[in-house]
Amino acid sequence: MQQSSPVVVTENLTKRFGEFTALDSFSLQLDRGRILGLIGPNGAGKTTAISILVGLSQPTSGSAQIAGVDCVRDARKIRQLVGYMPDTFGSYDNMRVHEYLDFFGAAFCIERGERKKRIEAVMETTQSTYMKDRYVEALSHGMKQKVAIARTLLHDPQVLIFDEPANGLDPQARIEMRELLLRLAEMGKTLIVTSHILPELARICDQVAMITHGRLRAFGTLEEIMRDISQERTIEVQLLSADQLDEATRVVREFIGPEKTSQITASAAEATVRFRTVKSETDITKLLALLVTADVAISRFGEVQSNLEDVFLSVAKETDERDKQSQSTLAAATAGRSDESGGTE
Amino acid sequence: MNNPILQRELVGILRTRRAFALQVSIAVLFALLVLLRWPTDALVDLSGTQSRQVFRLFGYGLLATLILLVPVFPATSIVRERISGTLALLINSLMSPWKIYIGKLAGVLVFALMMLVMSLPAAVACYAMGGVDLVTGVLALYGILMLVAIQYATLGLFVSSRAASSDSALRITYGLVLFTTVVVLGPHLFLQGQPGWLSDFAFWLQCISPVPAVMELLGQGDVGSQGVISRATTSWGYVVSSAVITAAYVWATVTRLNSSMLDRARSSGAITDDQSHSTQLMRRLMFLVDPQRRKSSIGKWTNPVMVKEFRCRRFGRSHWMIRMVSGCTILSLALSILTTTGTMDWSVETIGGILVVMQVAIIVLVTPSLSVGVISAERESGGWRMLMVTPLSAGTILRGKLLSVIWPVLLLLLATLPGYAVMMYIDPGLRLQIQQVIICLLVTAGFVLVLSATISSLFDRTASATTTAYVVLFSLFAGTMLIWLGEDAPFGRLTVETALALNPMAAALSAIKAPGFTQYDLVTTNWWMMGTLTAIMLTVLLTQTWRLTRPQ
Repeated sequence: MQQSSPVVVTENLTKRFGEFTALDSFSLQLDRGRILGLIGPNGAGKTTAISILVGLSQPTSGSAQIAGVDCVRDARKIRQLVGYMPDTFGSYDNMRVHEYLDFFGAAFCIERGERKKRIEAVMETTQSTYMKDRYVEALSHGMKQKVAIARTLLHDPQVLIFDEPANGLDPQARIEMRELLLRLAEMGKTLIVTSHILPELARICDQVAMITHGRLRAFGTLEEIMRDISQERTIEVQLLSADQLDEATRVVREFIGPEKTSQITASAAEATVRFRTVKSETDITKLLALLVTADVAISRFGEVQSNLEDVFLSVAKETDERDKQSQSTLAAATAGRSDESGGTE
Repeated sequence: MNNPILQRELVGILRTRRAFALQVSIAVLFALLVLLRWPTDALVDLSGTQSRQVFRLFGYGLLATLILLVPVFPATSIVRERISGTLALLINSLMSPWKIYIGKLAGVLVFALMMLVMSLPAAVACYAMGGVDLVTGVLALYGILMLVAIQYATLGLFVSSRAASSDSALRITYGLVLFTTVVVLGPHLFLQGQPGWLSDFAFWLQCISPVPAVMELLGQGDVGSQGVISRATTSWGYVVSSAVITAAYVWATVTRLNSSMLDRARSSGAITDDQSHSTQLMRRLMFLVDPQRRKSSIGKWTNPVMVKEFRCRRFGRSHWMIRMVSGCTILSLALSILTTTGTMDWSVETIGGILVVMQVAIIVLVTPSLSVGVISAERESGGWRMLMVTPLSAGTILRGKLLSVIWPVLLLLLATLPGYAVMMYIDPGLRLQIQQVIICLLVTAGFVLVLSATISSLFDRTASATTTAYVVLFSLFAGTMLIWLGEDAPFGRLTVETALALNPMAAALSAIKAPGFTQYDLVTTNWWMMGTLTAIMLTVLLTQTWRLTRPQ
């Protein structure tokens, strides 16, 4: 298989639970050796997408393939190709770490001799050899995460799917986790990682997929996504005192127009006004003049560099507004139809 | 009601559909019981025999209901809070341990009181039929039952404050309930009427159980008195022992309700292989199979799920199996030897009856504790999801899980068989009867195992599955015996025989011709019934396991 050939392919993947659509026409392609960050708010559909990819859930429509194997029709083969770490550890009481790994190795039908070597190797990779005799339930959260990753590596899968691997880890453990994920990618593994800790993802991911309300809103490298939304810039006005917050907000609102009011964020605690705008640099300079004319004392005025968090918030907000608009349009249309039908009666 | 815990606990219990169904069932069942014997003809039963017979059944029914249901809620109450983290919040609040304890206890007791109140109309009907005294009959019975509720609620809370998980709390509680209700009656059975302090001790030991007290109140004398006139103070004996035991439970639980309860040291993971040769040798001699030895890898032909089940079970390791098997062998032999050498008037059939009851008790208590979590515990801990992403098939998973229960149960059963060898030595003509009994026991074990595993597959919480399994099993094994107690009043011979045919223990007792079961022929019918039920449940279990391993 070539370095650039897509390993994970999903096409119009849709999953409905009755009336509720958990995943809506989810399509993406991921190349070998890449790290994909799957981000979205709680209930966005990330775990649903992952569950379909690992064969735990069946899509209502659409298809998903890993290394050319259909995730739905050939779930047994998929299990050999994918290493999955769910957000819950799934520990067993009274079992030591090496017994735990030995069980999963045996479950993946790895020969006894080979299994011993594999257990040693994956523990070395995850730097967890020192805990092999400890009881699983007595491990700290960070240690458990390492053991869980070791477990996913046992059968040497091509694709690794980690659901919230950095969740609940302390800063040191997070750094170790980040290094471990990068090491796995260097080993040629393809990784799909979900996380709420976006700065962590930004540091390791080659590609990012953003999901809200079950729909893929943005997909590509971080730079590509930022470029797409960078027509809108975030400007921050830092005031000397929060007393002038209302006045500054009024000037900004008048400047960017009343229809864009929702894009303004004022913080009394930080004495800042933030807003997003597509206006040019020259126009923005005019705002500074307006603020000065209005006697607003400013300590700093400038553009805020976007990061993954800003990008995510921007995409999420935009899609939320778009959804609300389409819902209200639909509601208006429905109301109009019922009025018409009422009139004919 | 100024205790927030009492309000929360009580509302929490009453909100469940289970509590509602329970109360309605109690009211309906006892009403039906009275209705069955309500006089419909013009003749008046001046002796009050019918009424006393109904009252007797009513008393035993209520006692069984309380013993089965009261410990369920307190047994999970503290441990559940500890696991979810809310106990730390309670301990850190301004509430004293006493207030927390009283809130939890009162919540359960109010519920128990409500159950008793639901049975009051039936009790009043018994009284109205005549023949039952208000003070020494109805009120005394309710007084004893209230004590039973308090004793078992405090027992549940005591276990809950020490258990590691909800389901283990339930298992231990039911084990202790069985011990304090039935097992403590044993020594008195053998030693009654003999002079000496041992007989006195046995008498006080049996007073721990509420059964003799209730029997005395219902005018049935003493358990297995066999014509021996017993001291008529069993009820007061129970009142005293119950008060002492309850106080001990309360003290032991309240002193535990502090921050030290949350301090649990993590195991350092010491391993014998890393220790000196002398230590390794000592441990080998102590344990025979050292639990801290590094285990070898799972073999090629071994079911990995079975090995996993043994390894992750607290008492599943080999050294525990050896201990349990040895204990059962000693108990079985001791029982046979004691009964044959210690009593002159007990027949071989009676000894056989006692052995059967002991074996069935072990099966009914141990088998569900092993099998009721086989699927529900995996689903609860998230382990099922992990199993699903391995290439293991539903059949392999289920086979491994069932085998991990079959082996220990079979070993325990084998360990209890030497008693029969003693019996066959005394009376070689018993060979066929003993063969039938052994088949009955195997059928019982199979049925209990499949029933518990099926219940496990239908629940995603082990505590609920455990409660359901024990309630179903105790209803089947003890409930049908209640119907047997009510033969001729209110139940006819056919009803009793049909009910007993459902009970494998009754079938085994009839096979061994134990006293009270000689007139029934239950063996063949019971085997057919158990076989059919086991096959149906096995089908449900297989279907449910297959369904659970499918993509959602």
